[in-house]
Amino acid sequence: MGSRGHSVVGRAVAGALAGALALALLAVVVGAAISFASCGHRAPAKRTVVFWQFSPLTAIQPVLDRFRREHPDIEVQVEQLTWQSGREKIVAAVAAGRPPDLAEIGSTFLPGLVADSTLIDLTDSIPDLKPLLRGWSVAEYRGRAYAIPWMLGTRALFVNQDLMKRAGLSPDRPPATWADFAGAVARIDALAPEIKGFGMNSGEREVLFKKFMPFAWGNGGDILDSTLTKSVVASPQNIQALRFYLSLKPHSLLDRQEMLDEAFTRGRVGFAISGPWMLRKLPASSPDLHFEVALMPRPAAGKGTPASFAGAEALGIFRGSRAKADGLTLARFLVREENAMPVYVATGNAFPAAVAAVEDTYFVSHPLDKVFVEQLKTAVAPPVHPRWVEIEEILNGELEEAIYGKKSAEAALRSADARIAALLTPKP
Amino acid sequence: MSGDAGTRGRASSASRSYAGLLPWSLCFAVFGLVPLLAALVLSFYDMNPLRPDLTHWIGLSNYTRALGSPAFWHALRTTAIFVVGTLPVTLLLAYAVAALLSRLRRGEVFFRAAIFFPATLSMVVISLVFKSLYAEQGLLNGWLTALGVPPVHWLQDPRWALPSIMAMDVWASVGYYAILILAGRKTLPPPLLEAARLEGMRALEVERRIILPHVRPVILFVVLLNTIRSFQIFIEVFVLTRGGPLDSTLTLVYHLYERAFYHFEMGYACAIAYILLFLVGLILLVQRRLIGRAPAEVPAS
Repeated sequence: MGSRGHSVVGRAVAGALAGALALALLAVVVGAAISFASCGHRAPAKRTVVFWQFSPLTAIQPVLDRFRREHPDIEVQVEQLTWQSGREKIVAAVAAGRPPDLAEIGSTFLPGLVADSTLIDLTDSIPDLKPLLRGWSVAEYRGRAYAIPWMLGTRALFVNQDLMKRAGLSPDRPPATWADFAGAVARIDALAPEIKGFGMNSGEREVLFKKFMPFAWGNGGDILDSTLTKSVVASPQNIQALRFYLSLKPHSLLDRQEMLDEAFTRGRVGFAISGPWMLRKLPASSPDLHFEVALMPRPAAGKGTPASFAGAEALGIFRGSRAKADGLTLARFLVREENAMPVYVATGNAFPAAVAAVEDTYFVSHPLDKVFVEQLKTAVAPPVHPRWVEIEEILNGELEEAIYGKKSAEAALRSADARIAALLTPKP
Repeated sequence: MSGDAGTRGRASSASRSYAGLLPWSLCFAVFGLVPLLAALVLSFYDMNPLRPDLTHWIGLSNYTRALGSPAFWHALRTTAIFVVGTLPVTLLLAYAVAALLSRLRRGEVFFRAAIFFPATLSMVVISLVFKSLYAEQGLLNGWLTALGVPPVHWLQDPRWALPSIMAMDVWASVGYYAILILAGRKTLPPPLLEAARLEGMRALEVERRIILPHVRPVILFVVLLNTIRSFQIFIEVFVLTRGGPLDSTLTLVYHLYERAFYHFEMGYACAIAYILLFLVGLILLVQRRLIGRAPAEVPAS
């Protein structure tokens, strides 16, 4: 009885499997038939470009609609990536051999893709774009361009004018030098226990170098030398800059960027280094707050530069992309000033890389946005280096040790220097 | 004749069950079993997802590399602290909450729903809420300041970051496990409890000698489930601390995520995942033996 029962069950399972297979086959046959039937009277086939990017679809869709009108033979399949998982999605797609035809790639992710020869070399296809766009340093490696700069981002100094006034400082004269800045930070910090002079990033190791390096770059320091083969992390300029940065810590609120932004919004921090997205957020969430945006402070009057971190969103085409030519056509369209500017106006995150955008009338009526455009002139991008992920990790780790008081400024940077030097030394 | 009909009926019922399981089995095969086996194979390869064409066999190198890596051992230690710190607390609290809920005469449904509520939320949402609570100028520090206690750098202080995540995890898990234990308690035959009371047993004695042995299988299930979940801790770390500060919250799954998606060492990440799988399997076996084997006490009567 048992074996008979099992054979009946076995037949039933086999039947269920066969049924599922039959249904799947039926679907394939019906699909093929429909496709075959429609072959006879099909409109001229459109080519499709798969485009992955980070802006909300409401911001990018009007631009793509314009592209469709200009290129009626190309259909754009756009997909919005999230900042949390976009990187993983791109990696998975490349690994699966199905990358998008065109993708928006952040400048910190770009070196890894270049190092692994994942992106195609566009240098010879876009010589005409060279003088029309800024930010090539984030997209080039050894003189070859592996992506096209689309949007450029930087950070500037947000100043709480109410706290400046309370601290007896002129609210219309934001600190321009390190000494002025340190003095203002200390005076604002002394106002009340719940008020801090400066918002210093901590608890998010991945952004630390972006916050510290502007002071180092402004002081003439750097991470690698001009040949990208030698670490210059422990230079006197960098050590001096880190000492200055750490001197702000006793008067600072230490937290993650979004919490620092929040604290600035609530009027509890005198100064915060942040991006243009705050320009939209502040008037909406804190209409009574009086604030100003200023260039980063420089080491001293007439010395160094008001440097900041330069990031970029570049457009890249993967080696495995299927519609490379159409992807490039779309990229060329997107970087044009008249197409990039609406994306900035809609998102407020990063500025068009198009040189012509600087003269856009939008910045006349939005002077605070204009400060970021000015800041971009002295902003510095991290080097595009095949080992950048590791270099960045070392730098961030050592900076974190310094911020937490585990190492002195000098010890942290010397340790970073030695580790980066070991990384760059060719293995026998 | 009737025997044949019975056999056919049972067979038909079984076939319906198998047919019902078919969609899940197919999904499990495609989205569970295949990736699991693929990861096992990959763990013996040097594989960069951006250059799959360069993938090559390296044998056990990924495993030996992991076992010789200080970062791996640090992440394992952090994960172990998390598991050891959260598991007993979660279990004790869940048991206590279940005991309290079972004694309620009124409002049981409301309290049951309230206790279970965190289980209905995504861990991402919970983490985001706690991120605000734990902020330097967040609600918790607001309360501390009002009490005259200096604020605590919950997620910024390496000594506090992991305990803060552990506390959040306990809060998020207790309700779910309490409801499971409560369901176990509800299966206890009321006459048994009645008999125990008639025998003059005190409440604590009833709890220890009747209820606890009865719900032991549920407790075993809760321990196993919570152990697996705790070893897999990732979302909380991803949202709140990204492994920092000073690597104080670098757990094993977050470590393997970084190796896979930031350093593109997919084979190495797979090897770490399999070491974790092996460790969790080993611990589950020990737990099963320790908790599952203990004889159930029965009342003397």
